[in-house]
Parts: sequence; C-alpha cells; structure tokens
Amino acid sequence: MDAITRIKQLGMPRRNNELWTFFPVAKIPNVLSPDSDCHVADAPRNDNQDAFDFSEENDFAALLPVAQNARTMVQNIADGSEEMAMLKCNNDYGHTVLNIGKNAKASIEILDNKVQHPICAERFDINVGEGASVEIFFANPANDLPLTFRHFRITQAAGSNVRFSAIERGNGITRVSIDAFLNAAGANFDARTLNVLGGESSSHHRLHIYHNAPETTSTQLSRNLLDGNATASYDGSVIVGNGCTKAYSSQLVNTILLSENSSVSVKPVLKIYHDDVECTHGNTVGELDAEQMFYLVSRGIPEKAARKMLMHAFAFDTFAPLPEGPAKKRLLQEL
Amino acid sequence: MLSIKDLKASIEDGTQILKGINLEVKPGEVHAIMGPNGSGKSTLSKVIMGHPAYHVDGGSVELDGKNLLEMDINERANSGLFISTQYPTEIPGVNNVEFLKMAFNSKRAFLGQPEINDDDFKKLCEEKMQLLEMDARYRERGVNDGMSGGEKKRNEILQMAILDPKVSFLDETDSGLDIDALRIVANGINHIMSPEKAVILVTHYQRLLDYIKPTYVHVLRHGKIILSGGPELALKLEEQGYDWIEE
Repeated sequence: MDAITRIKQLGMPRRNNELWTFFPVAKIPNVLSPDSDCHVADAPRNDNQDAFDFSEENDFAALLPVAQNARTMVQNIADGSEEMAMLKCNNDYGHTVLNIGKNAKASIEILDNKVQHPICAERFDINVGEGASVEIFFANPANDLPLTFRHFRITQAAGSNVRFSAIERGNGITRVSIDAFLNAAGANFDARTLNVLGGESSSHHRLHIYHNAPETTSTQLSRNLLDGNATASYDGSVIVGNGCTKAYSSQLVNTILLSENSSVSVKPVLKIYHDDVECTHGNTVGELDAEQMFYLVSRGIPEKAARKMLMHAFAFDTFAPLPEGPAKKRLLQEL
Repeated sequence: MLSIKDLKASIEDGTQILKGINLEVKPGEVHAIMGPNGSGKSTLSKVIMGHPAYHVDGGSVELDGKNLLEMDINERANSGLFISTQYPTEIPGVNNVEFLKMAFNSKRAFLGQPEINDDDFKKLCEEKMQLLEMDARYRERGVNDGMSGGEKKRNEILQMAILDPKVSFLDETDSGLDIDALRIVANGINHIMSPEKAVILVTHYQRLLDYIKPTYVHVLRHGKIILSGGPELALKLEEQGYDWIEE
C-alpha cells in the first residue's frame, strides 16, 4: 500500500489518537483537502515508493514525506567500513534510506533544513547490519521553521549498536518520532535528547522501541530546559515481546522549568510480554537546584552567571556519557 | 572585623533557630564554636551568608563596618566572607577548575580588577593544590561530584585558598577526614591564615584544635553563645561534655 492511500485511511491526526495526544494538531495543514497548500492528492506518484509497503504504518508524520512525493535518497555503507556522513534535505519533504553493512561503523549527522515552508517533513529508514555501530545525531541551531517533522524507522540486527542524540532549539513546532526495532540478540539502542526551548516553541518526541529478541537493550534519556511559554512532550513506549529473555530498558525524562508558563507532558508506556526482563522509567520536573545555586553564589558568582552554569551542567550531563567521537564533540560544542 | 550582634533567625515555619548571637572576631583570631547537635552552629554560617531557607528576625552582621545582611549573597562572598558547609553540595557537570576561575574572576570584577589570565590562574591553582596535596584529577571533576567526604573537605579548603577570604567560617571541616587528611587540611588552613584574616571553626572534637590553635572557644546551645573561654575550654568540653554548663 502506498503512503497517500494509507494517509487517507488514517485521516488527519487528531488529539484522540494516542500518537498525537500532546501535539497541537490544529497547526498541521490539511493535506487531504484539495484546497490545501500541499496538494497531496494531485501530486504525481514517484516510482521509488513501490519499494515500500505502508499498510502497517500508523504515524502520519512517517507517511507524509513519502505521500508528498519526496525523492528517496538511498545510501549504502559497506560491510566493515568506517564512514562519516552528513545528510541534508533541502526540500520541504525528504526521504532517506540508509543501509549500514555488517560490522560497519558510521557517524551520521543530519543537518538543518533551511527551507522556509509552512511545513517540513523528513523520513529516515535506517537498516543496521549485524555488529554494526552507528551514531545518528543532529544539533540544530535555532531555526524558524513553523512546523517540522522528523521520523526515524530503525531496524537493528544482532549485536548492532545505535546511538541517537539530538539537541533541539527551534522557535517553531517540532516533532521527532522514532520506531526502533531490536530484531536480534545483542542489539542496543540508546537515545539522548535535549530540548532548550523558549518563547512559543514546542517540541514533541514519540519513541516506540520494540524489543523483538532476547538480550536486547535500550536506554532513553530526555532532558528539557523550558522557558517562556515553551512546551515539550515525551511519549515513550517500550514493547518487550514474548520470549525476549534478559531484555533491558530504561527511560528517564528530566525537565527544568525556568518560567511559570512553560510546561512538559510525559507519557511512559511499558508493554511487557515476558517475565525475565528489566524495564525502568522515571520522570523529574523541577526548577534549578536551590542548594547548587546557593553554593555557586556563595563563592561570589553572580546569580545570572550561576544560573547559566547550572543550565549548562544539566545540558552537558545529557551527552557527557557518550563515547568519544563526532557526535559527542559536535553536541558538546553546540552547548 | 566581623561583628555579629544579637542575631536572630528562623526557618520558614517560624521556628527560631538563632536566638541572639553575639560574636566579635578580630583580625588574626581563630574562633572555635562547639556545642551539641541542633544548637544552631551550622545555621549561623548559612544565615550570615544569606541562605534563602532562613529569615533574619533581628540583629546585625558587619564585615569591616559594612552591613552584610543588606548585601546579595555573591556580594557577601566578594566582600571577603567564605563559608564551608558540613556537607558540601555536589554540582555534576560544572568543572571544578572552571568554577574556581569563575569565582576568582567574579571577586576580581567586584574589586574592580581585571580578569586573571589562564596561565597565571593555572599556576595559582597548582600552587594551592600542592599545598593540600591534591592530585590533578580534581581539575577534571565536577564540583564535589562523586568525591568522598574527605575529598570534598579538601576541595573546600582549596576554594578558600584560592579565593583568599578575610573571614572563613568552616563548619565541621574535620568530619570525614582520616588522620593524614586532617593534618593536611589543618596545615592548609594554617598556611592560608594570616594576621589580617580570621577563621571561625565549628567542630565537635579537640583533634582539629590540636592542629589549629584557637584564640577563643565558644559554646553554642539553643541558639545562643552561652559560654566563651580560651583553648582550655575545648579540652574541658572534650572531657566533660556540655551538661555541666548552666545557661
């Protein structure tokens, strides 16, 4: 089934759809209407869509770029090779397929889309081979795109390791959705995200991690520094399948609210169909630590500088545990 | 130098912890404050530094004739007050040396002096770390982050050595220190001490006072200094406890 047919089946996102509970769905242009600016119904169908079957895809953001006839860019990284790559989408809709070979090591930076359209949507299909190690990251400088979707569909083979890291500081509305499929033993998925938001901006993360094999592991750490009227949401689901012995998963969301009007919504979901697994989730919301503030200013540091130091420390700790490499270097530099 | 007069302070629920503290500290003096748990010793240091958890109900605190209670917390520090709390706060993610440099330059800015350059600060830092027999790992760590109790206390004295305050209020600096660490920390304090400076030590034990000779020893109980004396008072308290003192 192609993407536009599936979108028509699903209809436009609504708040009562659990994938869009926290998202301001009214801001999404109606692509199903012929009067819409997006004209999806009239778009000529690109042949490269034939390679995909979207009949089980439920996320509108995952379908939209393909339905809008994004040109699919395929990149293959050979078995055992080491590559650094930068991906940049210059159109309002993008679709990238990355096939990463066995035991390959890849560092993929996704650069900011500079287009100025009312909506921008990108989809990434990333297939990670056995024993491969991949870091995927973006550190977007503040941009003014009103509405941005980024969807990642990641499938992992045995012993593969994926580290996904991102900093978001946009002024508009951003939604990052990830479906990670840990399909064989030893696969590990690690996600670290930091939102530094102010004004009227909002950022929404939706992660579904499927533990489909024994001894698969996943960790999620999401941190938010929210000021002004900024809002953030985190909808993180971990699904551990039957027979997935020794699966391990952790999810932690930490938020510091820097203003009265900023807010965060967090929805952890654990669906566990096997006994011998370990899954944890946690969520903290607070202000800057008063004792830490007192300590810094009691050493003569002005309050404004002390606040800045604590915010930096909070952000720094998000990425400090990453192994040395391009992602860590880039993300810490961006702080 | 430091003049505390009839200082009264309470916590949020209205409970008064300090009920009229009077203390005069002159340059070159070392004052030891002893007293049972819960008598208000730790509160005293936090109140004079301006901890937001306490409300000053009355009295005055002056440093070289300036009213500390009217200053912001960082101004009190930059005016020459230093406090080391019993349990130094951990701040992961804030590098120890960067923090020290920021604090050092904040004081210089307050005093109208230019920022120190990196090389000079590195030299200063190394000199003081040698004094306290601290290894280079301290530089890479977050402020007090993951440090043992003894390491934290040593780190506090490093800050004191670099910031060079006029009056240092050290709350149970000897707790958590083994015998060697106690000697090193005490030597560091003695080295930093000069005829122009003063130290107030809060302690439960004579052992710290074997290394740092107090000019005066005070007993704080129920939020008031109820007895003051010379170094011999600490020895008597060590032997007989506090029950013999009549308020």
